Amino acid sequence: MGAREDFTDDAMQYAPQLFATALRMTRNRSDAEDLVQETFLKGWRAFDSYQQGTNLRAWLFRIMTNTFINKYNSQQRRPQETELDEVEELFLFRRMGAFDQSKMSQSAEDQMLELFTDDEVKNAIESLPETFRIPVLLSDVEGFSYKEIAEMLEVPIGTVMSRLHRGRKAMQKMLYEYAKERGLVDESLLDPQD
Amino acid sequence: MADCQETLNELESYLDSELSEGRANEIITHLKGCTDCQGAYEFHADLRTAIKTKAKNEELPDGFLDRLRDCLGDDVLGAE
Ligand SMILES: [Zn+2]
Repeated sequence: MGAREDFTDDAMQYAPQLFATALRMTRNRSDAEDLVQETFLKGWRAFDSYQQGTNLRAWLFRIMTNTFINKYNSQQRRPQETELDEVEELFLFRRMGAFDQSKMSQSAEDQMLELFTDDEVKNAIESLPETFRIPVLLSDVEGFSYKEIAEMLEVPIGTVMSRLHRGRKAMQKMLYEYAKERGLVDESLLDPQD
Repeated sequence: MADCQETLNELESYLDSELSEGRANEIITHLKGCTDCQGAYEFHADLRTAIKTKAKNEELPDGFLDRLRDCLGDDVLGAE
């Protein structure tokens, strides 16, 4: 019993990050809570198969990702790779000249933080098709390695890399559109050659 | 050595800490000597930080942790 009580205490510390990712996956607070509860129950019941000393956090995220994919009948393993428009390389970087400097602070790092609101970043992630959204969440938000993500999604590492690459570019394009809607962008400032 | 095109192509893997140590060092050497690529690197590093910070900012529903503990507790009782 002792090991299982430890599970609750150890796993509990990851509950907030699991919830944040569950929310981006399900796009619904009540479904997200259900998903985290289901993840904990499965983890609890499968605890015998968990090897002490291995990464509990990665193990929980793997259970949650699998639960989400199975429960919501996700297309993750039979993806339509074409469901995302091609976006040019370095999309946002090449458009930074169009941002109205007078509306932004001096430091580059602060600028980036105020360029996009929390909601815009969340919306940009959530509007990605699931095939791209899950790898982006697991990498950009949760910091898992390509190998860990490949194991969670049961796809090759090369597939993880290409989905991350395309998903990130699509996200940059959405963030740019949001900034445009907020009046931060003056496209006449862009060099037409860029 | 890595040139500008290679550096930009591999920037993403570099930021993901997924390059071999040798290759990462070649990219670092290029970044030190090239302000254009250095600018692209800093831009994407800052963008990563911003996305991570903002996407993580999430309030838990009221009573979330208690309900989570309760559902594990119930499962234990149910199993006995
Ligand atoms: Zn260069």
